[in-house]
Order: sequence, then structure tokens, then C-alpha cells
Amino acid sequence: MQRTGFLFLAPYAVSFAIFVILPIVVSFVLSFMRFDLTAQSSAGFVGLDNYKEALHDNYFWSAVKATLLFAAMIVPGLLVIGLSMALGINAMARGRAAVRALVFLPGMLNIAVTGILWQWFFNGEFGLFNFALKHFGSQGQPWLSDKAFAMPSIVLMSVWWTVGGTAIILLTALQQIPGMYFEAAALDGASTMRMFRHITLPLLKPVMSFVVVTTSIAGFQMFGQAFMLTRGGPELSTRGVAQYIYETAFNSYRMGYGAAMSWLLFALISVFGIFQIRMMRRPA
Amino acid sequence: MNRSVWKTINGTIMRTVATLMILPLFLMLLTSMKPEAEVLNPENVVPRVWTLSNYQQILGWAEEAPFGRWFSNSVFISSAVTLGVIVFSAMGAFAIKRLRVPGGRQFLGLIIGSMMVPGQLFLVPLYLILSKLHWLDTPAALIVPATAGGFGIYMLSQFMEDMPPAIEEAALIDGCSPAQMFLHQTLPLCAPAISTLAVFTFIGSWNDFMGPLVFMDSVRNYTLPVGIALYQTSYYTEYGLTLATSVLAVTPLLVIFALFQRQIVSSMAASGLKD
Repeated sequence: MQRTGFLFLAPYAVSFAIFVILPIVVSFVLSFMRFDLTAQSSAGFVGLDNYKEALHDNYFWSAVKATLLFAAMIVPGLLVIGLSMALGINAMARGRAAVRALVFLPGMLNIAVTGILWQWFFNGEFGLFNFALKHFGSQGQPWLSDKAFAMPSIVLMSVWWTVGGTAIILLTALQQIPGMYFEAAALDGASTMRMFRHITLPLLKPVMSFVVVTTSIAGFQMFGQAFMLTRGGPELSTRGVAQYIYETAFNSYRMGYGAAMSWLLFALISVFGIFQIRMMRRPA
Repeated sequence: MNRSVWKTINGTIMRTVATLMILPLFLMLLTSMKPEAEVLNPENVVPRVWTLSNYQQILGWAEEAPFGRWFSNSVFISSAVTLGVIVFSAMGAFAIKRLRVPGGRQFLGLIIGSMMVPGQLFLVPLYLILSKLHWLDTPAALIVPATAGGFGIYMLSQFMEDMPPAIEEAALIDGCSPAQMFLHQTLPLCAPAISTLAVFTFIGSWNDFMGPLVFMDSVRNYTLPVGIALYQTSYYTEYGLTLATSVLAVTPLLVIFALFQRQIVSSMAASGLKD
């Protein structure tokens, strides 16, 4: 019986060992190595050099900055817009299911399609947004080519792409709040605003912290959005850590340095994850 | 103002929001059927001249952008990944939860732990491992590693845990082998969970961007998203064409969404419920 058990587990376990455990080990070892695909002869252990290099690499810090900027905009954006949508859908008398499905629909698209679509909206010369703006007599904006607009534009597209999922998670949590809490508060003459502050928000807190943690983790790994819209520009202002790792490993072929930076990204994500969970758990 | 007026206003706002959310998709569809001159001068939302020339041009590409080939690559790879994930995950979850192999719980813990590691960390080592296996630039590079994903085995384990143990006891008394039990009892009982897993795995694989971008080299081996993304780089101002490629790339997903909408949305809804 036990032997059969292991036979059943074997295919997954072998795949897991080769494609999950082994890569983690290889990546860890590589991060202490110089391993350039262009000059294989020079491969060898270099201790902490890759990590030291990252800490003194201006490109790395500018990528960290872009990543943090993206996360700092997308996380509150998704939370506030997602919660507003959830409250709106929850208050609907009819047609909830249809609206729920429609707001989620953009999340089904892949980043290539999403990017092509928004590239067309944002393009400075031929884009739809500027066409509309010029129609109303405005000059139009350099959405993707100006440093001040590029990241907010990427965030705008990302909100459209993913806010439906956030709204659905929050909506489900809203629907779990027992109606009698509101009935009792209404009997006591509480206003809608007070009920929202003292019933809805506190009871939504665990789900909101789930949303904040998952969207931050996804935000820290932002790659496709900038890759499609700006390729990281202008002046690398939208190139996140994930894209810098990709370019270091597969354009410059510096595998060891790429591996070290991916561990630093993992560390950044873990620190923020733990920090956020702690913050959210503290009683209000 | 009374409650029913508020309800009406709120309903109108939410319907408008929903419409705005899908408006880009309609613009994409309508614009893909315009001649190029009208695309650049979009006075009218609806094409004045309807044309399928963008689609004819795409489907006629052979060398530089083999659209049909990318499409069939994507269909093949996503189907194979879905099948592989279901078979490996179902067998593994069965071994852990129903046959209770020693160490199964700890192994599941390890799997869940590994799911916290960001995807970027796997790129470099996987590239080197796949290159040693001579799998780079072949469909195997995108199919086989995907079977090691933790989501499927975790989800099916949760599902199998809730099934009563009496089911196995009865089967064993009837003289069923574990394999018969798996095929004739566990799998049919898990059908709802397996179909949800299939939908999510297929969509995830179809939409995967980084994997094919890094592991595929020749243009004819690209999957659809990477193919159209890199194609867009060279033709990015010919919006009629790039939007038509996008329409073709999302159509299969929209069909899946239309068929499984309830399942997809309710799984999404449940993801925030765990404590």
C-alpha cells in the first residue's frame, strides 16, 4: 500500500525536485559565482561580490526605486478602486452577477494584448487618448515618453487589468458580513457613514490585508507591463528589478549577477510581506 | 432622497463602470475592422468602411510572423500543460491525502513554501537546466517544468481532505486496488475541483509571457502572446494590424470565460476567504 503511495507521488515529486528544488539550489549557488554565458572559461566562485556589486550598482537602485514607486501607486489604487467597486456592486438591486463578470473580464487578457491595446491608447502622436484630447482643444500628453507620466500610465493600465479580481475578493467578504449588524446599528440611529467606519471597515480588515499583501507581492514582480508599454523608459525610469534581472541574465548573459539580484528581490518581497502582515495584525 | 432612488443611481453608475471596463475590448474589435486610414483618424467609433483586410494580412504571414503557427503552438502547449498538471497533481494529492504516504504532510508544506518564491528567481537556473537537457526552444521547455507547479496539488489536496475516509474503506473491502480506487472513485468525485484547476491552468499557460520569452528562440516556436508582443515592436504604429492580432489572441480566452464564467469568478471570490 505504501509502495503504491510512493508510486503515485513519484511523477510529481520528480518534477518538483528537478524544476523547483534544483533551480532554487542552483540559483543560490550561482549567486556566489561569476558565470557569464559569453565567456564560460571565467566561471568561478567570487564570494559575495555579486551582492556587493548590486549594492553599489546605480542601475539596480534605480530599478528598486521604480519597483517601489509602482507598488506604492498600484497597491492603494487597487484597494481604493476595488473597494469602491465592491461597495457599489454589493448595493445593486439587480444585475450583480453580470457586473461582477464584466469588471473581471480584463483580467483574463494576457499582458501582450493588454499592452498592445494601451500602447494604442497612450501613443503620443497616433494614440486614442491624445486624439480625444486634441478634439477638445487640448494639446495632448506625452503619456509614455515623459518621466512624470510614464509610471502613472503603466499604473493606470495595470489597475484596469487587475482591479476586477480585487473587487470580487472584497465583494465576497462584504457579503459575508451578517446583515443583522447593520440592522442593529440602524435601530440605534447610526448613519451610513458611521456603519461603514465602525462595522464594514473593521470586519473587512483581514481581507484587505490579504489584498494588500498579494497585490504588493505581484507589484514587486512587475515586468510585462513596463516591457510592453515603455521597455523600461524613458531614461530607465520605469524599469523594475524584474526587468533588470531579465536584461542582465539574457541580454548581457551575466547569469551569476542576475541570480544574486533575484535573491535580493526575494528578500525585498519577504521583508515587505512580513512587515505588512505585522502592521495589519496590530489591533486598531 | 429615499433609498430606492439611491439604488437606481448606484445601479446606473455600476452599469456604466462595467461598460467602461469592457469598452477597450469593443474599441479593439471595431478598430481591427477599419482600413488603416480610418484607424489613425478615429472620428467614428464604428468603422465607416468595414474590412477584414487586417485579418487577411495576418493570416497570410508566413516567414516573419507565422501567426497560425504561434496559435497552434499555444493550443498545443496549454493543452499539454493542463493535462500534465492534472495527472501529476491528482496522483500526488491522492498519494498524500488518501493513501497517506509517510512524510506527505511535510512534503505538502514544502510545496506551499516553494510557492512563495517569486518567479524571477527560477528564470536563470531553469534556463541553465533546460539548456543541459537540450530542451531550450522546444515545447518541452514550457510543458514539463509547469507540471511542478504547487497550486494544483495544493488545491486537490484540500479537496480530497474533505472527502470522507469511509469511501476508501468500502472500496478496500470490495477488493479494489489503489489504482482502481483512484480511477473509479477519487477522480470522479474530484471532477468539480479538477475542472476548475483545468480552466485556471489553461488560462495561466496561455497567458504565460516570461517563460516563452526567455526559453524560446526561433520565431516559429513562439507562443501567441510573445509572438504578437515582439511583432508589435516592429509594426507598433499599424494599429489595425496589431489590434487584429490581439482580437485573434483573446478570442479563445473569451470563449472559455463565457463558458466557465461562474466557476472562474467564484474561485476568484473564494481566494480571499481563507483565514
